[in-house]
Amino acid sequence: MEEIVFGIGITALAGALATVAGAAEDTESDIGSQGDPNSQVQLAPQMGYIHRIFNKAVAGEPPAYGLWVALGAGLAWAFMAMQINPILAIVLGSALAVFVQGVYATTAYLGRTASLAKFGQPVYIDILKSMTTVTMAHAFVAIFTTVAMCHLMISALGHPFPLPLLGLVWGIALGAAGSATGNPFYGKERQYQEQKFGAGVPISASGNIVRYAEAGQRNSLDNGFFSAKLGGPASGICFGLIVFFELWRTVVFEPLAAGWGAVIVGVIVILVFAIIDRYIEVWARKTFGPYTAPEEASS
Amino acid sequence: MSALGGPKQTGGIQPPTGMGLVLSIVLIIVALALAFLLVQMAGVIALVGIIIGGVLIGFGVHFVPVGGAPAAMGQAPGIATGVAMLAAGAGLAGLFGGAWAAPLGLPLALAGGAVGGGLLMAITCTMVNVIYVFGMGIPAASGKVAKDPITGDTFPEYKSQGTEGHGLPFISWVGGVIGGALGGLGGTLIYLELLDIYQAQLPVLLNATVEQIAPVAVSLAGIFAVGMFLMNAVLAAYNITGTIEGPHDPKFKRFPRAVIAAAAASAVAGIFAIALLELVGVF
Repeated sequence: MEEIVFGIGITALAGALATVAGAAEDTESDIGSQGDPNSQVQLAPQMGYIHRIFNKAVAGEPPAYGLWVALGAGLAWAFMAMQINPILAIVLGSALAVFVQGVYATTAYLGRTASLAKFGQPVYIDILKSMTTVTMAHAFVAIFTTVAMCHLMISALGHPFPLPLLGLVWGIALGAAGSATGNPFYGKERQYQEQKFGAGVPISASGNIVRYAEAGQRNSLDNGFFSAKLGGPASGICFGLIVFFELWRTVVFEPLAAGWGAVIVGVIVILVFAIIDRYIEVWARKTFGPYTAPEEASS
Repeated sequence: MSALGGPKQTGGIQPPTGMGLVLSIVLIIVALALAFLLVQMAGVIALVGIIIGGVLIGFGVHFVPVGGAPAAMGQAPGIATGVAMLAAGAGLAGLFGGAWAAPLGLPLALAGGAVGGGLLMAITCTMVNVIYVFGMGIPAASGKVAKDPITGDTFPEYKSQGTEGHGLPFISWVGGVIGGALGGLGGTLIYLELLDIYQAQLPVLLNATVEQIAPVAVSLAGIFAVGMFLMNAVLAAYNITGTIEGPHDPKFKRFPRAVIAAAAASAVAGIFAIALLELVGVF
């Protein structure tokens, strides 16, 4: 019994860490503009819209986070093998991984923006100086929490994978959850804030992203401020729920029915989410109703 | 992937070419023969398991509704990320569950892997709809079919002007869960087959007990499973070219080509994974 209570506590802690990781991951990717919406940031200068948005989407979020978290986990694992305290080892490993992220962000911004030179897009050095460190700070939170969560899974729950491999697996899952949930909010609601609420962006408006803020030109810190209100927390909830239910069904229900308890509970959780999803879908159809064209052109 | 460019997205069935088919069968037979020569019957069984796992991954990716960049602007239905990325996230979460349940036997580990992958997709797809509905006020609408094959919901009147649809209709949600489950199942199968091989070979090679070599065997099998997962997911993504809405999308019918390619690629990659220790032993 004590073992199960301990397991539930670890599960809750891992879920909480994952929630923070998801929120930090999405905010980091929005400030750095790494997700799919970055296609518009790359496209805008080609359509004549010069902007001051960061641009580092040389890799998708899942492989990028797979690399950084695996790197943080691998270094932490090496430090632990050197008999360094696990918490210190995870902090050191994550900090070193963040420097790789910083180098990645810098070279990606310079490379991608320089490729737009023929369209008149300048490389803003002040953007590089002010925003790279902010993405690094958010990346540190995401990497540290994910590596700490992986360490808990191994040391407290007894998962057989070594720490670097678990870091790779959960890093890719973190990027997948964060980009899936957070991208539409950053892409549609922020970059196309001028478009009508409650409708998709017409393809004809592609590239015409919002470039001006309350005062002066909009930059990626403004975008981070915006997406941290919904896209980030929603990504955090998404990743937190994934980690929590994955661990919870195993820790609590694996002793039942010769191990099949975990599988049955997993299927039940999937069915519960099917009902929630269907409810949301029907609610949206009833509440918003069919699409009606705006009276004046929105783009 | 861009809303403005990209290859022409042809729907419908694109059958594999005769040349590709013959080449794939030859590659698979050669790989099976090599497996028999190097590791005898156990090698053949493991390679068959790896090929089945690879085929399940390649097939499963076609179910996952992925809208890529256009989905991030509400211009196309699906999840706003890459095909291979999302499938890998789900499949690897499944592998995590499957590897954890490995000591409880093959059927339970495979079921655990499938449920793990399905669970990630169920939660992710639901949260995508939460963002679309509560964050952006956009109801789901498919661009490929007029009616949801499961719920019977109609879509044309909900589709925003100038877009191909948006959000995740229920059929796409179901497709995502099936895709995640198949990916988790395939990844776990590859992992378990390789783990068996390494647990049999490593003690002889290193002159150690099964317990002593367990971390090495688990790490090797795990990293090969992750690698083969990504390989098959990317192969399937090339077959899809860009975006897919799920099992109701006309592009879904292209899956035979990806299945054959996944089988051949898994056979070739699998023989390297299986023969790795034999080769190490030679040197």
